Amino acid sequence: MPLMVLSLLFVYPFAWMFLSSFKENRQIFSPLKVWPERFNFEFYGQLFAGDWIPFFSVFLNSLMVAFAQAVGAVALTSVAGFVFSKHEFPLRRILFVLALVVIVLPQQALAVSLFTWLHTLHLGNTLAGVMLPGFVSGLGIIYFTQVFRQIPDDYLHLARLAGASEFRVFLTLVPMVTSPLLSFGLVQFILAWHEHLIPMLVLSSQDKQTLPLALAGLYGSSLRFPFAVLMAGSSLTLVPTIVLFCILYRRFKSSLSELLVH
Amino acid sequence: MLCACSVTLRFQVRRHSVKPQSLQGRFEMESSSSHQPIESVRAAYLLLLPFFFFFTVFWLVPLVGGLRMSFYSNDLYGPSSFVGFDHYRALLEDQRYLKAVKNTTLYAVSSILVILPLAVLLAHILRAAWRRLRPVFTFLLLLPGLTPPAVLALLFLLVFHGREGLLNQLIVVPLGFKAINWLKDPDFILPALVLQTVWRWTGFITLFVLAGMEAIPNALYEAARMTTDNRWNLFRAVTFPSLKPVLIFSTVYLLVDAFSLFSGAYVLLGGSGGTADSGLLLISYTYQQAFAFGKFGTAAAISASVAPFLLLALALCFLRFRRSKA
Repeated sequence: MPLMVLSLLFVYPFAWMFLSSFKENRQIFSPLKVWPERFNFEFYGQLFAGDWIPFFSVFLNSLMVAFAQAVGAVALTSVAGFVFSKHEFPLRRILFVLALVVIVLPQQALAVSLFTWLHTLHLGNTLAGVMLPGFVSGLGIIYFTQVFRQIPDDYLHLARLAGASEFRVFLTLVPMVTSPLLSFGLVQFILAWHEHLIPMLVLSSQDKQTLPLALAGLYGSSLRFPFAVLMAGSSLTLVPTIVLFCILYRRFKSSLSELLVH
Repeated sequence: MLCACSVTLRFQVRRHSVKPQSLQGRFEMESSSSHQPIESVRAAYLLLLPFFFFFTVFWLVPLVGGLRMSFYSNDLYGPSSFVGFDHYRALLEDQRYLKAVKNTTLYAVSSILVILPLAVLLAHILRAAWRRLRPVFTFLLLLPGLTPPAVLALLFLLVFHGREGLLNQLIVVPLGFKAINWLKDPDFILPALVLQTVWRWTGFITLFVLAGMEAIPNALYEAARMTTDNRWNLFRAVTFPSLKPVLIFSTVYLLVDAFSLFSGAYVLLGGSGGTADSGLLLISYTYQQAFAFGKFGTAAAISASVAPFLLLALALCFLRFRRSKA
């Protein structure tokens, strides 16, 4: 019962947001009338027509950044995690600790110097400039080190006996860890999809912006502007993360418990 | 064939020998094999190369660059001159900086103190909920966490927005209080920020805790029931110690999020610190210094000044973690 109340409390603003995307401004600002007087789809039309923001290109930008960051981070950190858990080499401890420091000092904490540095690299105002720093994830290193530690060494020995290179050994293990790979990819996707500071610093032209930036920009634009458009855009922002999360929920949950058990 | 069979067999055996406290090894490096040939060492470095390439280019260089920047003057054009610790000294006397430090610390600590107990409670309730409804509730709780902070802040703005806001109309005024101007009244800005963070992260932390709870083997409870039947004692003796790693991880995560959080505070307060700077957080102050005032040196010094404390907090967390194992 308390659960019902609480989840209602959590969900109410979202329901209100979605329903507001059909309302005139006048109705939006009286938040107790939740249900719209009539469903007016005109605001979605305005949004898609690009009357206020270039919605599709902005949406696509966000999607590209988030997807690339998820793939890049998963690829880099899973290989590194495999090495940290299955190899012995002189600098291992130091490198591992260095990678962990990234957790406490994420890219956002370095934003000011990262910003100037990206311009030096000629990555200013490019999507690549937003994506690439996100590849470096300390969380991924911890996570995959733990994941690969649970895989018995016998598999590795077997693959090595067959004459596989270390990278091939890693590849043979991949099918055993698809759930953790996808789960971490999901987390990275969500984080990248939400990121505000880095895109705001790096991307200056409007057509290169990401969705949260464009929406935040809309908010301050003018008083006459229909809030329903903002609500429509915001509602659509939720779609990719929710869909992905629902698809991957079981895997996510199981790899989480798996990690906690072992 | 036989060989493969025996491998799977061993795999099975290993997987089933669940050690209840084996979480403890999580952050330690146990060596899997003691001794490896040189070639394998070379292969290891080679495989680490891609990660550490990106690490160097997109993390280490900005880090070092930021440190260097903090020792140079704020001149935007032309060569800047070395000023040593001047920026840091200036910060110590900068009331706004001190305020930002105070606010951020207060904000971080209070959101952690609210979220963690709430998440444990919720996970506890969720476990009692009907099994099939569990994912539904979890999803509902997670919804704010799946929402970009920019949108969340926007919703929040409308929820808190002055007199007409939802919170005022639904809760504050009906209870007979005067409508609170959440984002203008200096006493309520920080609580509003905390509330927003609670709203955002509680769901995810609950999911972590729930997974942690489900991972506790029943045998532990049975063993504990031999001595006590009190639910609170059971919680203290079994649940809490088993959840410690999850809670420590969550603490670190929330701490980092608080210190590098930006979007929420930015959209809510328009990049400023709000009335009387009562919502000024370190990251918004850094941003202001750099991009509103062009004081890159000062901004870099602000970022750098926080790092030791974050590292210390991390180290303390892990230290406690290790001690609790011993």
